[in-house]
Amino acid sequence: MSVIKIDNLTKTYNETQVPVHAVNGISLTIEKGEFTAIVGPSGCGKTTLMNMIGGLEIPTSGNVVINGIEISKLKSNELINFRLNNIGFIFQSYNLIPVLTSKENVSFIMQLQNRPKDEIEKRTIQLLQSVGLGDKIDSKPNQMSGGEQQRVAVARALASKPKFVLADEPTANLDSKATTQLLNIMKKLNEEEHITFIFTTHDKRVVDKARRIITLEDGKVISDKEIS
Amino acid sequence: MLFKIAWRNIWRSKLRSIVVIFAIASGLVGGLGASAWMNGMAKQRVKNSFDYQISNIQLHNPNFAINLDVRKTIDSVSQKISEIKKIDGVKAVTERLKISGMASTANKNYGVTIIGVNPKNEKEVFSLYKTIDSVSGNYFDSQFKNEIVISKALAKKLKVKLHSKIILTFQDFNGELTGSAYKIIGLFKTSDSNWDKTNVFVKNANLRKVLNIPINKYHEIDITLNDYEQAPVISKLIIQKFPKILSEDWAKIDPYNSLLNDFMGVMMGVFMLIILGALGFGIVNTMLMVILERTKELGMLMAIGLNKRKLFIVIMLETTMLSLVGAFIGEIISMFLIRYFGIEGIDLSAMQQGLESVGYSAITYPSLEFIRYVQITIMVIVTGIVASIYPALKALKLNPAEALRTV
Repeated sequence: MSVIKIDNLTKTYNETQVPVHAVNGISLTIEKGEFTAIVGPSGCGKTTLMNMIGGLEIPTSGNVVINGIEISKLKSNELINFRLNNIGFIFQSYNLIPVLTSKENVSFIMQLQNRPKDEIEKRTIQLLQSVGLGDKIDSKPNQMSGGEQQRVAVARALASKPKFVLADEPTANLDSKATTQLLNIMKKLNEEEHITFIFTTHDKRVVDKARRIITLEDGKVISDKEIS
Repeated sequence: MLFKIAWRNIWRSKLRSIVVIFAIASGLVGGLGASAWMNGMAKQRVKNSFDYQISNIQLHNPNFAINLDVRKTIDSVSQKISEIKKIDGVKAVTERLKISGMASTANKNYGVTIIGVNPKNEKEVFSLYKTIDSVSGNYFDSQFKNEIVISKALAKKLKVKLHSKIILTFQDFNGELTGSAYKIIGLFKTSDSNWDKTNVFVKNANLRKVLNIPINKYHEIDITLNDYEQAPVISKLIIQKFPKILSEDWAKIDPYNSLLNDFMGVMMGVFMLIILGALGFGIVNTMLMVILERTKELGMLMAIGLNKRKLFIVIMLETTMLSLVGAFIGEIISMFLIRYFGIEGIDLSAMQQGLESVGYSAITYPSLEFIRYVQITIMVIVTGIVASIYPALKALKLNPAEALRTV
């Protein structure tokens, strides 16, 4: 069952005199439960593609259909609401809310969804324990290491029970130990709970864990391999 | 949670927030302090005017007010006073004779208003007697034949002292020029030196004899009320009871007092508006800095699903709470200072002469009604909300993808 269908997607930036075709006619399908890496050199269009899948940028042409909904047709607030309920985000620089504890960072998403208080409490603890941070629930981002912060970000991304998780260079700021820990957690969640992960990376260790590798160059897919 | 985020965000940049809070607090202390000072001066002037000069309501023969014509009296005054005393809200009533005359000594003359009083009733309506200290004599408590109480300012002008004699000359009830010698038994001093110089007080009984004025006729009835704000209502009631008598409330007798009362309210409003307006721009500036610094974070919030309405609320709450913290501190300091100086007074003796020549005391006691603090709090909240609009709109215009790219 496909979660994401991308059809002839393009994104052209006209900020300079010479138009930049960041994404140039990409068509893809992502199935439920995939653990997919999007790789390629810097400037190949990975982040732009991720932003368009996540509804953060509007395509110049083509469309992104998520669970049957063409997201470029949604209005601004509908899109925000769609993201809240369907997509989990993990950012390169963690991007936690610095004034909230890890518990509050995770529960915040569910509060935005107006979930019952009991459910929020239970799921928050459960998620933080699943990423190995059961003892850090009251720590603020500045009291945690980069690896720990990124694991909170994973818990936050999963809090809304999204259809898939987009992770843009999730290990770029982590040391090897933290990278391994994070990958193991993501892999475990993917295998045991069938959560769909799509991530961009330059890191070979991350690529090695992926079951599908999509390689981009100059805004186009130059290879799309399934790893058995 | 939005409330929690907004509150904690304030303390992310402690120094900046403290500077803004200090600016708001000091602005309010300045504004409230100045307002309380002006208010205190005005209130004191109005109170002094009630206590020494005009009471709350005055009754006259309608033709008397034109030129203090000695023949234009109110008749059957004792019956009228009994009727007036029955009106709800009336605290005390006194009757006065009032004529124009000349106060003379061997060396000097000065035009004065001679007021004939009933000391017992007078003390219930006016507090002039309280301004006579022990070394300045008394207010008709001695047993001399012809007693007079004049001001220290007039005594200085006429070069006389306590127990000196002065001659009062005036027209009697029949239009004949007459006069009498009086012994000064008391020297008063109010905060209005011009009024002090032009008013002298003698006993009704003594003045009546020389004036040849029939019994139970007086020129003026002065009424003091439990609440001076009720003066217009009670004045109307008196007019209904005695349609041939001119009844005027304090605002009509001395329009300056009424103007002063209204003017202070307006002045304070304008004053606070200017201060809060300036602070508002400061807050806008600070919040714009905050938006600039947190662009990436705001982009992340929009990306993960914080809708525009909630984002607006977070920024508005942060701005409003920042303003309220400043306002709270400013109001506490102001309350303390106003209370302290309200008891101790602000001494402007260096400007005493100038102030007293326009009816203000040299020592002023700042005062501010509690409702003013409530009004200021509301004004600060409104300022906070208004000041948050522009920064919040800026934040709402952010593109999450672009915002996330910022460093």
